[in-house]
Amino acid sequence: MKIALCSTFVPFLYGGARNIVDWLRTMLEKEGHEVEVVYLPQLDAPDLLFQQMAAFRWIDLSAADRVICFRPQAHLIDHPHKILWFIHHVRLFYDLYDSPYRDFPDDLKHQGIRDALVAADNVALREAKHIFTNSRVVSDRLAKYNQVDSEVLYPPVFDAARFYCGNYSDEVVYVCRLEHHKRQHLLIEALALTQTPVRVRICGSSAGPVYPEELLALVARLGLQDRVSMDNRWITEDEKVDYLANCLAAAYLPVDEDSYGYPSVEASHAAKAILTTTDSGGVLELVSDGVNGYVAEPTPAALARALDRLYTERDKTMAMGVAARARLNELNISWSHVIKRLLA
Amino acid sequence: MKVLIVNNMAPFVWGGAEELAANLEKNLVLAGHQAEVMRIPFQWEPAARIASQMLMVRALELINVDHVIALKFPAYLIRHPKKTLWLLHQYRQAYDLFDVGQTNLPPGAEGDQLRRVIRNADNESFRESRKIFTNSEVTRQRLAKYNGFDAEVLLPPINDPSLFERGQQGDYIFAGGRINSMKRQSMLIDAMVHAGPTTRLLIAGPPDSPADGAALASKVAALGLADRVRLDLRFLPRETYAEYVRGAAAVAYLPFDEDSLGYVTMEAALAGKALITTSDSGGILGLVKHRETGWVAEPNPAALGEVMGEVFSQPHRTAERGAAARELWLSMDINWPATVERLLR
Amino acid sequence: MNFVMFTPALQASAIGRMACMVTRALMAAGHTVTIVRAEADALLTEPVHPFETELVAWNDAARVHALLAKADVLVYQIGDNYTFHRGCMEWLPHAPGLVCLHDFFIAHLFWAWAEDRRPEATSILSNWYGADVARAFFSHTDSASFIHATHRTAPMTEWISSMAIGVITHSNWGIDRVLDGCAGPVQVVPLPYDAPDMADARDPALHDGVFRVLTVGNVNPNKRVASVIRAIGASEALRPVTRYRLVGAIVPAMVVELSSLARNSQVNLVISDQVEGPILTSAFEESDVITCLRFPSLEAASASAIEAMLCGKPVIVTDANFYSEIPDDCVIKIDPADEAGALQRALERLCADPALRAELGARGQAWARATFRADHYAERLAGMAVDASRAKPVLDAINALTHTLSNWGASADLLNAAHTAGPLALFDER
Repeated sequence: MKIALCSTFVPFLYGGARNIVDWLRTMLEKEGHEVEVVYLPQLDAPDLLFQQMAAFRWIDLSAADRVICFRPQAHLIDHPHKILWFIHHVRLFYDLYDSPYRDFPDDLKHQGIRDALVAADNVALREAKHIFTNSRVVSDRLAKYNQVDSEVLYPPVFDAARFYCGNYSDEVVYVCRLEHHKRQHLLIEALALTQTPVRVRICGSSAGPVYPEELLALVARLGLQDRVSMDNRWITEDEKVDYLANCLAAAYLPVDEDSYGYPSVEASHAAKAILTTTDSGGVLELVSDGVNGYVAEPTPAALARALDRLYTERDKTMAMGVAARARLNELNISWSHVIKRLLA
Repeated sequence: MKVLIVNNMAPFVWGGAEELAANLEKNLVLAGHQAEVMRIPFQWEPAARIASQMLMVRALELINVDHVIALKFPAYLIRHPKKTLWLLHQYRQAYDLFDVGQTNLPPGAEGDQLRRVIRNADNESFRESRKIFTNSEVTRQRLAKYNGFDAEVLLPPINDPSLFERGQQGDYIFAGGRINSMKRQSMLIDAMVHAGPTTRLLIAGPPDSPADGAALASKVAALGLADRVRLDLRFLPRETYAEYVRGAAAVAYLPFDEDSLGYVTMEAALAGKALITTSDSGGILGLVKHRETGWVAEPNPAALGEVMGEVFSQPHRTAERGAAARELWLSMDINWPATVERLLR
Repeated sequence: MNFVMFTPALQASAIGRMACMVTRALMAAGHTVTIVRAEADALLTEPVHPFETELVAWNDAARVHALLAKADVLVYQIGDNYTFHRGCMEWLPHAPGLVCLHDFFIAHLFWAWAEDRRPEATSILSNWYGADVARAFFSHTDSASFIHATHRTAPMTEWISSMAIGVITHSNWGIDRVLDGCAGPVQVVPLPYDAPDMADARDPALHDGVFRVLTVGNVNPNKRVASVIRAIGASEALRPVTRYRLVGAIVPAMVVELSSLARNSQVNLVISDQVEGPILTSAFEESDVITCLRFPSLEAASASAIEAMLCGKPVIVTDANFYSEIPDDCVIKIDPADEAGALQRALERLCADPALRAELGARGQAWARATFRADHYAERLAGMAVDASRAKPVLDAINALTHTLSNWGASADLLNAAHTAGPLALFDER
């Protein structure tokens, strides 16, 4: 089949939203399909939304048998066989409208833009033959704001076979961008309250120097220099595979994230338990407390207790890691499932 | 610098322009920049759609980009404060092809309006660009004639020059490139009748249509040349093509009135091969200087055959001419580092 | 919501009176309203209706800009009078808003606005009505022939509607042209009106045997005064007992013409000039019947007819346009094809039957009170503001794209062409 994968992007910014498209392309080509990837820019400025939406309406992909659309406004593209793998709305006008992230006033003008946007989305979404999302969180939003049904289709990681389970060190590993809403600082604060010699390794790049510097200062203030390892850089895939293979467990505790995040899936492929919090959002679709990891209250004390348990109750930690691997199958997190559903 | 290359996309079609964009991206990165190619789907049939496609490009909002290099209409309509054009194509059906009646624009007022809109939009984009390059002299002349803008010719370099180093002087004349009637590989076969018995010919490349390939094969058979003419009619892997060039005694390329120097000619010159062409081949003559870097024959089988025979009757001279061709090519300084530098100046 | 309303504010303006009612109703509903006075410079010192809010002059650019920056909604009261609505025409093209359209026919407004903008005006006329109409528009020499020629061919309704993000008008009869012009929401809302101090004046007649007929408003030919005089004069029953009073601005030539006609018809005609306030009120109070005849009918809604009904008086109207929409049992409607005969018969009936007069007056009053309410109008206006705020983002985008296309030398039909407009149909669906 000729399949067009359509999404929006910011040039030179890479990450989850691009990975899902680029990895899907590779897997579809492996199945023998002809794939074209369409990446076009999109800016969430309120006054420019509708001109950009008009632009997407004019895109002609009739040469494709099927189009799969990911990030807004790609879902505006008109095609007789349009499938959505919907990863998020223009959130400032949806779930983040009533939040401190909204950077425009809640006045008649912007309410009007919001209402017009929802009305347009309602039509565009219903043009699709089928709507998939990347998490329960996003499906719930589609139901709540647009009254459409959707099927959760979890995005797999690329080449999962390279992850393996090696040993169990004393180290809980947190591999993720260093950003405040990923809360690496919370893990460090928890470490200070532990009773066992459990350690923490934090690896990731950051958009700016401020947060990493704060983390280092925190480590120093708490006297944890010899128990916390920090790699403030984008570690290589090989390094990541090795850290996960040999860690005690993996940590992933962002605030209220849309989806479960690749780090938790990668840890599961490496058969390691995952430490997360009750308020991490989509991660909880993957992790259940005591089954394939611990879900602690987002406080240093509760996380400290969980860290200690991971350290002392090794058998359980190992068993939860095995369960994490199995959970991936339960949730059908695999490329074969993805392709089967997208091309059904 | 963050450099975004902006090109059209005809979905599921990958051709020379796409190769060029990909190679430009690669070489920008080699020069230390961040580079990406953005491909904008463009549908020009029916002509009534063109206006919406132009508006579509114009409505796109770019952020996080320091410099744009745009290649074709309507991609170059994209808005950015630092925009350089490397013009591969305007919408010729509104310009020179319109003049000769080869256009999808409707006749009468509707077509006139579209032409006017295209011309005005083009001029606006040309005005707002910091610099305009074209990929050939012909494109430069068209731009000057129809839109009144000056441009510099910036010839696309060979994409993978290392493949064309270190060959040896072989025992066949190589004719590469797409196979069709404009490229006139059939004339080479006819010319073999007039070349000496030591002359051998290898024609290799993808026929535009099965009929084009079949025509060559039957000509070889009809003329009884199977022992001296070899046909390898398919899309050649790059490595194979390079091997054929490297192992040739000389390379023949004689299209009718081509716009530019021709990749076949450029690659052959880089490999130090003497060049064979005809006097009506157009831009090819930029590299083929008669009796210096090769031979320029009259466009008929007898003249061409005589020249082909000379390749093997005086191999020393053939080698010299090949070396001269390489020198001429290198002196043109058409390489990717220089190209990247000029585009971003 | 924070409203800025462009309107004539001076007391002589009936539209200003309506705007004042609506403003107070909006404020009672919790909105804030600031008024930009639209009347011509020379009139800006005239006393105003009691808006009870801040008033700014249209020519005070700095203050108006400051208001626009903080406004949620802009409203323009538009009527066919350039002197009163000058300020609206200055700001509307640059600061689009909701238009309250009082007159479907605004060719006089356009004509005066066009005075120092002939090329632009001609282009607007050609655009909407074609080159022939454009050429003829400025060639008329007198008011009657101008109205006659343009009310069907160039009423300019589309022009004003195309500048609005939404239009409220006050009856249905001229709505097609509004819909053609306005890309945003269009609604019909009854014109708010009140008749102060007369609510219960049900027994006004002086019981002196005189049958008092009243016509209120500028005495133009389309008010059919001459027809009323002739109808009275032709009736044996009416002639001796009827006193026909005109209250409204009147030019001397018209005074002469009508007086002469009345004398020849032996009709008792009393001509009072324009009056306001309590004098106007008592003119209504003392009357038995009020005639509101219009031919041709130009305004969206008739303030005088509404006012008359609110006074509890029986009203005679022409059966056309706005008046046709009034329920049949609340007024007496005259078929314009048989104006003379129908008018005479109607007057004779009313003259002979006081009970009928009282009944008709009461029904008309009840209906008018229930319909022409300022609080309802304010509510609909606020609702329209919300509708328009939802339409505006799409309209703005279309405008920007149209602007780009026209800068490239395209005509409007290129944006309307199927391949361009078709894919955008998604934005029309709700």
